[in-house]
Amino acid sequence: MYKILIVEDDEVIQNELAKLLQNNGFETVILDDFSRSIEIILETKADLILMDINIPFINGETLLRQIREQSDVPVIMVTSRTQEIDEVLSMSYGADDYIMKPYNPTLLILRINAVLKRTMHHSQHEYYHDAIINNQRGIIKRQQEEIVLTKNEMIIFHILRENIGKIVSRDELMTALWDSNSFINDNALTVNISRLRNKLGSLGFVDAIETRKGLGYILL
Amino acid sequence: MKLKDYLIDHMFLLIVTLIFAAFIYAILYVFKMPTDAIIVICFIHFLTVILFLIYDFFRKKKFYDSLFYHIQSLDEAYLVLETLDQPAFLDGQLFCSALYDINKSMRENVKTIENQNKDFKEYLELWIHEIKIPVASLLLMFHNHKDIYDEKVKKQVEVINNYLEQILYYERSEISSNDYLIKEIKLMDIIHTIALKNMNLLLEKNISLEVNCDNETIVSDSKWLEFIVNQIMNNSIKYMSDKNKKIIKIYTKKDNDHIGLIIEDNGIGIPYDDLPKVFEKSFTGYNGRLLKSSTGMGLYICKSLCTKLGHKLTIDSTVDLGTTVTIEFYNNDYYFVTK
Repeated sequence: MYKILIVEDDEVIQNELAKLLQNNGFETVILDDFSRSIEIILETKADLILMDINIPFINGETLLRQIREQSDVPVIMVTSRTQEIDEVLSMSYGADDYIMKPYNPTLLILRINAVLKRTMHHSQHEYYHDAIINNQRGIIKRQQEEIVLTKNEMIIFHILRENIGKIVSRDELMTALWDSNSFINDNALTVNISRLRNKLGSLGFVDAIETRKGLGYILL
Repeated sequence: MKLKDYLIDHMFLLIVTLIFAAFIYAILYVFKMPTDAIIVICFIHFLTVILFLIYDFFRKKKFYDSLFYHIQSLDEAYLVLETLDQPAFLDGQLFCSALYDINKSMRENVKTIENQNKDFKEYLELWIHEIKIPVASLLLMFHNHKDIYDEKVKKQVEVINNYLEQILYYERSEISSNDYLIKEIKLMDIIHTIALKNMNLLLEKNISLEVNCDNETIVSDSKWLEFIVNQIMNNSIKYMSDKNKKIIKIYTKKDNDHIGLIIEDNGIGIPYDDLPKVFEKSFTGYNGRLLKSSTGMGLYICKSLCTKLGHKLTIDSTVDLGTTVTIEFYNNDYYFVTK
């Protein structure tokens, strides 16, 4: 389980963020003593830091610079300021991503997963049961059988596999698709899912994707 | 300063001189002064007056001509005092000193108002960022407790957020602001952000979004541009008609010296008479009255931000067929030279 450190001074947001992250399978630590931010951050050994720019005692950008002198931990900057300069500065000080408040919670989780994936050195191949997933080529291979997925099907399959055994809402799937510039509508999503279901079926995973009415989909 | 005006202004002096001269000549005549002597005195007398007037005319003309020339040529006419030489005549000196005092008092006043304005602007900006925190909390709470809150609540919070952004950018567009950073940006990144932001609304209203942008890059401030595109997109969503197939198309058009970003919808359109006025402040028009929830500020802010960024914003529309908004980005040579 990945550990995420929340650096944020508003208590309500702290708690709601922790809850959001916990619901999505992360362990959370909240930074509560801003007078020794840097020590706590280094002690915590988090897998990722979610950091607001406006925090007490020290400016988030300065803190980020101090972290970068000693650690490569992935950092996502969060801010309610809407100035381009903040984003450019944050990125140049070594932030891995930058998100503006108020954020879309689904998107926040997607971004966290993306950053973690980029920075953790995953093995080249990912598996779904005994099938090998080749992300670059969009292919899933099981023994001699092989299926080719379209870009959209791949995105859907990816999200479902990351949450294997858990329900993924249509909203989450839609957000992931739109985040990859596939601006499809509800009908198209339904079509894509049934195509994906058929393709998986042809690999022998019959009815691998279950529909939970009103809730979403679940990959078994 | 014209000689004619100067003479009319000194008419009194001339008349008095003439009257007194007439008296003196009359007295001299009575005392039997030879006529030749009277003519010589008369000549010297008038020569003195004329020489004095000519001298006075030219030194005043020099001062006032330079004054008016500088007033015309300066961008900020109130700085004219700094450009003038101290005049050599009393009127001018008094005039300059009065002008200096007036100027000083005016500047103090302007400075006070500028400071008030700056304080207000800073407070407003701070306030907007502060109020975004509870808005962010609300959206998070909504997401975490979907069982308690109604979807309608979330939508209202999103509406609040939109209006907050509008006032933030209004403040930035009105008051000369340095809060921007011009750099090369991918148009697709902007559209990506705005599409995600409006995803729920588009899906719910069953509006298809077709994007065709081919990796074009332009030079602009990404936050300002995001705001502009978002406002246009919001308008397209807001004024969509109840057709079978509702579409918003976003595409680019490349020309020699500019790239156009076109946002096209097949909504209700804007009446022909309203079209020239849509960028005016507080203009709501026929469509605004129809929906009753229009501030008439969105497009006005977009236009002034575009003007500041050097982009050209145009709108074209046909009632019942739809509206096309174009943002033209001109090649910014200056940016590439200084880069």
